[in-house]
Amino acid sequence: MALNLNILPQSSFGLTGYWGLQESVTIPFYNYESNSSNYFGIKDWGISLQYGAEFSGSINSSLYLLALAKKLGNHSLSARFTPGYQKEFLFATGESIIINDTTTQSLKANYNYKELFGIGYSYKFDEQFNAGLVVRFFSQDFNREIVKPVYGDTLYLVREAINEKVNMWNVDIGIDFILNKQFQFRAASINLVNVKDEFTNEEFQGFEMDQKRGAFLTASYMPAEFFNFHLLYETSNSFQVSATGYAKGFTYGLTAFHDYYQEPYIAGVVPAVGYRTNLFEILLSGVKYFSERNTDASFSKFYEEGIHNIINNRYSFDKVVLSLALNISSKPEKQVELIDVEIVRDIYPTFYDKYIDQPFAYGRVVNISDKPVSVIPSVKIEGITDDKIQSPPQMLAPGDTAKVPFYLIIPDNYVIDKATLSYADFYVTASSNEPDAQLQKAALINSINSWDGNVANLRYFIMRDQDFSMNYAKSVLSDNKSTLDTIPFAISAFIKSKILFNDFVKRLVYTSDPRATAENVQFPKQTIELKGGDCDDLSVAYSSLLESVGIQTALVDYKEDGEIRHVNVLLNTKLSPTQAKFITTNDSKFFIRKNEQGNDEIWIPIETTSLTDFDEAWNVGVEKFNREALVKLGLATGKVEIIDVY
Amino acid sequence: MKIFIIALLLIPSIIAQEFKAADVEGDVKYRSGTSEEWVEVKEGAALRSDDFVITGAKSSVLIKGSKNIINLEEFTAVSISSIKTMSTDDLLLALAMEDMINAPKPNGKNNSSNTAVYGNKEGQSKNPELKADDFGIKRLNGAVQLAKSGFKESSVVFAKETYRKYPDSKQIPSYRIYFADILYEKGLYEEALGDYLDIAKLDLSKEEKSKVESQTQSINKILLNN
Repeated sequence: MALNLNILPQSSFGLTGYWGLQESVTIPFYNYESNSSNYFGIKDWGISLQYGAEFSGSINSSLYLLALAKKLGNHSLSARFTPGYQKEFLFATGESIIINDTTTQSLKANYNYKELFGIGYSYKFDEQFNAGLVVRFFSQDFNREIVKPVYGDTLYLVREAINEKVNMWNVDIGIDFILNKQFQFRAASINLVNVKDEFTNEEFQGFEMDQKRGAFLTASYMPAEFFNFHLLYETSNSFQVSATGYAKGFTYGLTAFHDYYQEPYIAGVVPAVGYRTNLFEILLSGVKYFSERNTDASFSKFYEEGIHNIINNRYSFDKVVLSLALNISSKPEKQVELIDVEIVRDIYPTFYDKYIDQPFAYGRVVNISDKPVSVIPSVKIEGITDDKIQSPPQMLAPGDTAKVPFYLIIPDNYVIDKATLSYADFYVTASSNEPDAQLQKAALINSINSWDGNVANLRYFIMRDQDFSMNYAKSVLSDNKSTLDTIPFAISAFIKSKILFNDFVKRLVYTSDPRATAENVQFPKQTIELKGGDCDDLSVAYSSLLESVGIQTALVDYKEDGEIRHVNVLLNTKLSPTQAKFITTNDSKFFIRKNEQGNDEIWIPIETTSLTDFDEAWNVGVEKFNREALVKLGLATGKVEIIDVY
Repeated sequence: MKIFIIALLLIPSIIAQEFKAADVEGDVKYRSGTSEEWVEVKEGAALRSDDFVITGAKSSVLIKGSKNIINLEEFTAVSISSIKTMSTDDLLLALAMEDMINAPKPNGKNNSSNTAVYGNKEGQSKNPELKADDFGIKRLNGAVQLAKSGFKESSVVFAKETYRKYPDSKQIPSYRIYFADILYEKGLYEEALGDYLDIAKLDLSKEEKSKVESQTQSINKILLNN
């Protein structure tokens, strides 16, 4: 008996042609033959059915395939039942018996090759890589009639059938690489692993499916949704070329295949046309062979060449296949896409509420649905936020692209000692709780002592240590209770400011930034503990002490003082202009600001780096303020700015 | 951009000048910088830009700079830094600065006036009892002297500062009208109108009322025609 038949369980041929990774139609993905990586363009559940007819003289219709697919995050699972994937061969064994000396009866053999079912799994690593495998179960039924002699009083022959069933498991793997929307590639195995039962009957050995390993490579060029071009090459030197497309719900495909084992060079074509909605797909495809097909062939040819695919071989006939698919999703349809995100502000954790008003990032969002949608942007930053921080919703018209802001709330007790590179996850959600799209970006989180150089933001450093400042200030003031008890209430704010400053100067020295960078600011507690600081640190600390006991302060930002920017403090004495004489007879040592009620109040500038005493710091502050802010009109020209702490 | 150009124009006018006291008669004193002490001005004494000069009864002094000169009559007070020539643009900047100093906090109210309004509320205006040696009055007299010596823009800035620091001085209609007229004369109609409307709330004499009404109507016509 022959032992070298080439009966191969599969090649990359599918009954709907080859469509690459085009996601506008899902039916071709159920063809494991060319989708060994189990790639599925479904969102949740997918069900498919293929029913067809083969024109082998008569029309033989059968259910080719019934399949189910499920997507779980980045995992895709599928299973299929393939009752129509089979090929049966009937042979005359060459033996015959004569019955009753007149009737001759030929003996027959029946070999049936079936693919019964298969399962698939894949994992999508990211938007570019997907890898998976498919496992299929094949069955081979061999039946043969033989003549068996029976010895008795007379020798006579009886006809008997011998049979054997051999099962086989086949495993193949595939990997997909999506370079971009235009170029996509796949590499996959053919018959990578075959595990089959051992034959018990020598009669049938050599007729089992072969395990000839191979591989195929595919490349797709997809310049537009309505036109995609694919090339599939098998290591057996077979290939397929196809054009597919999708437009306004209609799909089409035309695959031409060269089969190394069939004639002519282009053995046939697989045209397909269909229609799809979000819920269902219908695809009518067919296989047209260019060579003549006969139901009869010689055994010797079968013996020499074998077959190389159960559903596509020289004994296959033209087919028509109607495929249906349902795409069922418990998840809402994706309505928006997040194209890109730009982080426009560094994150300074101390500015805990700054990013509530000022977005730290903007995303470009496109409405891919056909109706207006309300988009909710949200962000989660590793190490800062436990939950997503939602930004106000934005309305987007169909097809519109909009720039949406991402706001952030940083916990006010958040502490980070040094700058850290973290990751920000940006989400856009249109209609459900699940984000429609997300994007991750690296984000630099500065340390809590980092400052962006904007004097207005020093108020965050002033406010942060309020408990410490209050305890410290109260302690100092209680040490001077006797003085405070004897002064008129009207000047209590002024005297308290004086006492606090004079205590301040006893403990502190002016130093340039201890960390040798202008972008670091100490909190009041740090300045007191480190016994010094630069103008930012001292102004922050003094302002914090005053604010903690209810004395209103402002910072003066001298934006140009030579090359160096300078900051000092203004404080509100709460005195009216007519009460100025309580603190000075020199009317150039104060100036008037209106309070929220519209009443005039006396404010005085204090140079916090002048660590001699309060009067000296006041005089130095006044001279600088009068010169830079008033005489030189610095306030009007923008070179000097008053920034209220609260 | 406008502010930036104006700022460039300012630079020559803010360069400090040296001043000297001449023709000192009677009680003339000066105070330096942040000092609390007044010191007698001697003939030929040098005065710095952060000095402040006052004159008593029947006193006067001539203050001479390299380019500027001013005669201070009795009961005047003036800062040396005010003795300078300002352009109308400088004046506008200085007036705008008042708002910047005040920087009213956002409380839902919107004060859209060009210059800050000081003093008592409507209906509470009364001419206060004024003494000739009140420092506020002396400053207003000094401001008038500045105007008479040709430093009209500077005189308005000095008067406005006086109103802020000595609110009672704002209740004297004659001074208010005098400096409002300077704004009108300089073509700063909106600023002048604000002042006239504020002055109209004071207790005015018949002549003062007539003058204020006339100026208000005149400005309204001008603004309507523009």
